[in-house]
Amino acid sequence: MPGAQARGINRTTLTAVVLFAVVVAMGGLAFASVPLYRLFCQVTGFAGTPKTGAYVGTASAGAGAAGEVTVRFDANVNSQLPWQFQPAERQVVVRPGQEVLVHFRAHNLADHPITGTATFNVTPFKAAQYFNKIECFCFTEQTLKPGEDVSMPVVFYVDPQLFEDPNTAEVRNITLSYTFFPVEAQAQQPSAGEKAL
Amino acid sequence: MAHGAAAGHGAHAHGEHDPHPTGWKRWVYSTNHKDIGTMYIVLSMIAALLGGLMSWYIRLELAEPGIQFIEDTQFYNVLVTAHGFLMVFFVVMPAMIGGFGNWFVPLMVGAPDMAFPRMNNISFWLTAAGLVLLVMSAFVGGGPGTGWTVYPPLSSIAYHPDAAVDFGILALHVAGAGSILGAINFIVTILNMRSPGMTMHRMPLFAWSILITAFLLLLALPVLAGALTMLLTDRNFGTHFYDPAGGGDPLLWQHLFWFFGHPEVYIIILPAFGIVSQLVSTFSRKPVFGYLGMAYAMSAIGVVGFIVWAHHMYTTGLGVNARAYFTTATLIIAVPTGIKIFSWLATMWDGSIDFKAPMLYAIGFIFLFVVGGVTGVALANAGIDFALHDTYYVVAHFHYVMAIAAIFAMFGGYYYWVGKMTGRQYNEGLAKAQFWLFFIGVNLLFFPQHFLGLAGMPRRIPDYPDVYAGWNMVSSFGALLTMLGTFMFYFIVFHTMRSGKPAEANPWGEGATTLEWTVASPAPFHTHEVQPVISAGDHGHGGHGHGAHPRPAE
Repeated sequence: MPGAQARGINRTTLTAVVLFAVVVAMGGLAFASVPLYRLFCQVTGFAGTPKTGAYVGTASAGAGAAGEVTVRFDANVNSQLPWQFQPAERQVVVRPGQEVLVHFRAHNLADHPITGTATFNVTPFKAAQYFNKIECFCFTEQTLKPGEDVSMPVVFYVDPQLFEDPNTAEVRNITLSYTFFPVEAQAQQPSAGEKAL
Repeated sequence: MAHGAAAGHGAHAHGEHDPHPTGWKRWVYSTNHKDIGTMYIVLSMIAALLGGLMSWYIRLELAEPGIQFIEDTQFYNVLVTAHGFLMVFFVVMPAMIGGFGNWFVPLMVGAPDMAFPRMNNISFWLTAAGLVLLVMSAFVGGGPGTGWTVYPPLSSIAYHPDAAVDFGILALHVAGAGSILGAINFIVTILNMRSPGMTMHRMPLFAWSILITAFLLLLALPVLAGALTMLLTDRNFGTHFYDPAGGGDPLLWQHLFWFFGHPEVYIIILPAFGIVSQLVSTFSRKPVFGYLGMAYAMSAIGVVGFIVWAHHMYTTGLGVNARAYFTTATLIIAVPTGIKIFSWLATMWDGSIDFKAPMLYAIGFIFLFVVGGVTGVALANAGIDFALHDTYYVVAHFHYVMAIAAIFAMFGGYYYWVGKMTGRQYNEGLAKAQFWLFFIGVNLLFFPQHFLGLAGMPRRIPDYPDVYAGWNMVSSFGALLTMLGTFMFYFIVFHTMRSGKPAEANPWGEGATTLEWTVASPAPFHTHEVQPVISAGDHGHGGHGHGAHPRPAE
C-alpha cells in the first residue's frame, strides 16, 4: 500500500511537472513568435514583406512581352524625425525580370546629426513575394549630418512569376513604400501626438 | 440505481465530524474543494453584478440617439472594456471552472479532493486579486478604454498615457496565473485520481468538458501572458514589439491575442456543454446519446479552436489564401458542434422529459447556442465579414453564442446543484418564472441587434444616427427585463439559502446517475475518502458514464 501510494505521488508530480513545462513552452512560443514570424514573412513574402537577395535571373525573363509593371514609390517620415525624404522619380515602368536602379533622397533639416532607419512594405501584399530587392538602404541604419543631403539607391526586380500566378496575374501596379523612423535614442521620448504608422 | 445511490450516502456522512478551521480561517485558508468552489461562485456573483450594472448603464445610454448620460466618451470606452473583462475573466470562468468545476469534478470522478489543495487555494486568491486590480484600473487616470481586445496602438503609451492599462494588464496576468494553476490542478486530478473503475470513457461529460477546458487554458493563457508582457514592456521600458517605429508590428498583438482569444471562447463554452449534457440526460431520464461522440466532439472543438484565430482579423489585410483557409477551418467547427446539438436532441428524443427549471435552462441554452452558431457560420465567411466586421451583428452573435448561452448553463447548473451545495432546494415556481423573464429579456435584448448590425450600426460608440432608434429602444427594453430577471435570480439565491426546503441526496430521481448524487445533501466536508468502485452497467454498453454502477466501498 505505501508503495502504491508513493507511485501515485510520483505520477501526480510527474504530470504536474509536464504541465508546467507546457506552460513555460507556450509562454516562450509567444516571444519566439517575433523572430519566427519575421522568418516566415521573409521566406514567403507574407503581409507585404519584399523578398531580398541576389538576382537569380529567372529563365522565363524573356517572356517580358507578357506585360509591364508600373512600380510606384512612396516615402514617409515619422513626425519625430526632422528629415525630408522623397523618391527621385515617382514611378518607373519595368519589364519582369529586369534589374532596376532607383534613388531616394533624404535631407536632414536639423542642426545635429541624426540616425534613422526605414521600414518597408509592398502593396498589394500578394505581389510582395514576387518583388525582390537586391540592394536597399533600408537594410542598414542611416546617419545624416546636419543639413546633409544624400541619395540612396535601391536595386530591385519583379519576378516574372508574377504573371503566372493566377492570384497575382492581374497586378499591373506595385507600390514600394518606405517610412523612416528615428533610431532608439530619439524614439525614446513618449510622443505627445500621433505616431505615424 | 437511485436506491443504491441513496443507500450510499450514509456511508460518507462520517466526513462531517472531521476537524477543520472555522470562521474566516475556514474560507481564507481553505484547501477544501467544496469551500473553494463556493468562494469562486460568490466571487462570480459579485463580479456579475458589477459587469451587469455596467451593461445596463450602456443600454440606458443607447436607448435613444444622442448623448443622454455618458458625456465622457472615454468613460463609455472604460465601461465597454470593464464589462467584457469582468464577464469573461471574473464571471463565467470563475463560476464554471473554479466554481462548478471545483465542486463537482472531484465528486464526479470519485476523488477525495483536488490533487493540490493548497495550489487550489492560491488559484482562487490570485483570481480575487485580479478582480481587485481590474476594478482599481477603472479609477486610475482615464481608465482603460481599449476594449477587452486591448489592441495597440490604442493601448500604447501614446494613447493611454496613465497607468490604467498597466493595472488591467497586471489584473489579467494575476488572474491568468490563477487559471493556469487551476488548470494544472484539474488535469492532474482527472488523470490520476479517478476512482477504481472510473475509466476515461466512463467519466461524466462535465468532467470531460473541464478536462478539455483545462488543456485549452494551459495552452492559450501563457500566450496571452507573453503578449501582455510585451505590451507592458512596450509601454514602460521602450521596447517596440508592437511599434513600427522600432521595427515592430501592431498586428503581432492581434495574432497573439486571438491565438489566445479564440480558444478562450471555447474555454467559456465547453464547461457549459458539460453542464448541459448532465442536465439533458438527468431530466430526460436517459443516458447521453452518443456519449463517446460527445466527448470527442468536445476534444475536436478544442483542437480546431487553436487554428482558426485569424477569422477575427479578416479586415487586417490578410491575403486571399489566408482568408480562404481561415474561413474553411472555421466552418469545420460547425461539424463537431452539430454533433453535440443533435446528440442533445437525440437524448431528449423519446425521453421522459421533466421540465424542471434546470431543464428549461438547458433547452434555452441549446436554442441560444444554435441562434448564435448560425450567425457564427455567416460571420465565418471572410467576404460577409468584411461587411459585418465591428457592427452590432457581431455583438449579437457573440452574446448569443457564448455570453448568454454560458449564463444559461450557469443558471441551469446552479438550480441543478444548489441542493447538493447548500442542502436546500430552490423554489420551482420562482425559478421557472425567473427563467421565462430572463429568456424573454435576453432575446428581446440581443435579437434586434442583428438588424442593427445588418443596417451597419458600429460597435463601441455611445451615439448613433436616428435611423437606428427603434430597435435600440427595443434592445434596451430587453435589457431592463434581463436586469429584472437577474435580480430575481439573486433573490432566489437568497430565498433558497433562507427558506429553501431541505434537499434529498438525490432530488432528481433515476435520471441523476453521476456520483455526486450518491453523497448526502449538503455534501459533507469530506467525500469519497474511501473511493467508490465503479463497475460497468449490465446493459452491455459500459462505454458511458450512465451505465456505471457506483457502490459504496465499505
